[in-house]
Amino acid sequence: MERSKQKQMNESENEADSAINGHFDGRVKIPGWSAGGAAGTPSTAPSSSVMESWREERTRSLEDNEMSLPSIAAAYTTILRGLGEDPQRQGLLKTPWRAATAMQFFTKGYQEKIIDVLNDAIFDEDHDEMVIVKDIDMFSMCEHHLVPIFGRVHIGYLPNKRVLGLSKLARIVEIYSRRLQVQERLTKQIAVAITEALQPAGVGVVVEATHMCMVMRGVQKMNSKTVTSTMLGVFREDPKTRDEFLTLIRS
Amino acid sequence: MEYQKAAELNGLCNGKIVTEYLCRNGFSELTVDAKKVAVQHKNETSRKEAEDESRLPALEEAYTTILRGLGENTDRQGLLKTPLRAAKAMQFLTKGYHETIYDVLNDAIFDEDHEELVIVKDIDMFSLCEHHLVPFFGKVHIGYLPSKKVVGLSKLASILLLILFIAVQERLTKQIAMAISEALQPVGVAVVIEAAHMCMVMRGVQKMNSRTVTSAMLGAFREDPKAREEFLALTKSA
Repeated sequence: MERSKQKQMNESENEADSAINGHFDGRVKIPGWSAGGAAGTPSTAPSSSVMESWREERTRSLEDNEMSLPSIAAAYTTILRGLGEDPQRQGLLKTPWRAATAMQFFTKGYQEKIIDVLNDAIFDEDHDEMVIVKDIDMFSMCEHHLVPIFGRVHIGYLPNKRVLGLSKLARIVEIYSRRLQVQERLTKQIAVAITEALQPAGVGVVVEATHMCMVMRGVQKMNSKTVTSTMLGVFREDPKTRDEFLTLIRS
Repeated sequence: MEYQKAAELNGLCNGKIVTEYLCRNGFSELTVDAKKVAVQHKNETSRKEAEDESRLPALEEAYTTILRGLGENTDRQGLLKTPLRAAKAMQFLTKGYHETIYDVLNDAIFDEDHEELVIVKDIDMFSLCEHHLVPFFGKVHIGYLPSKKVVGLSKLASILLLILFIAVQERLTKQIAMAISEALQPVGVAVVIEAAHMCMVMRGVQKMNSRTVTSAMLGAFREDPKAREEFLALTKSA
């Protein structure tokens, strides 16, 4: 507890640091919920760092977007000039603004909080078989080259008296993928978000994606795909459950 | 001054489109222009590699501004060198400004008594959309009817190196066709590009599976429907 309080104090200065992409220590717990689980005051309650990242503050708002648009557009104009193009020619006249708006759209995950998306759609249901939502299209931005990543996400979980509205799984994917991301971190964040929201018996997340930074430049391998997965709870411990999940997402 | 060069490079094609429409034969005026074009291209590469290096700091700063504007913390580990990497990636994706058709094709043109259709299809291509600076990628099919001169096959694919710049798909198709017709003076050239635009897939209308197809038919392919049919049939087959 002490450590996490201290961490909070350190983090309040560097809030952007851990809150944005939820840097974990690698510990994954299923924390005890306070009754109600309302969107309370996150930063004052002592909680694990995993909880803090889940209940993170929105780091961007619509007003922020509007205010930063001119500077991002100016940066794009500089980039066009730096590449040897003429920003005044007809096709490029409004490009800095369009590119800036597009970039803000591709990182709109920073404007949303999991808790807003999930709060209403958790239901008590006496179902303890695997629930899978697969082939969720995912688009993200590579944080190292600022080039798109796209692919599919497959999510499965074993509910423990509580199920989640199905489209909410896709919304969780949207929130975490519309950011500057690393595929490994994306997979983990999705799994942890579901774990924290539902406390299921287990969660499995598989992300299969094509990285344009590998396809368009560098090694230029057209057909390569990167697959990452996170298995938590029963999925990690019981090989049969994991097998069932992997078979069902293949079919 | 440099901006003018770039604009000319991109605008050069538009001037030619006009002359081409006016010209019955398709290529008679262009053959006269070809030499002028060659000299122009050699003198006017709007970016050289040394310049790339010197421009890098400005691009890096611009990217840092963008990252901050998006609400990110540019001091975190994953983003420390991102402005540099992104600037280099962008320079790579626009290095078509360096290249000229003559660099790519010049040596590999051979005299061959072949007058049938030659097609290189399913060439993967990438480019950057001029309006959103977001990639679009897909396949290019190139076909030409040689007139005593054939080109090394991989050179048709290397033409794709020329097109790494900020582009509009329609203009790009035409530019590829023009480049080949300038260099080879064939009886006809046909280029088809089928691409997925990330600006449509990742944002805006968000249609995952839509593809944009554009084509440019010059010379015999434009005039003779049978030649065109043969080209399209051969590029369709799996």
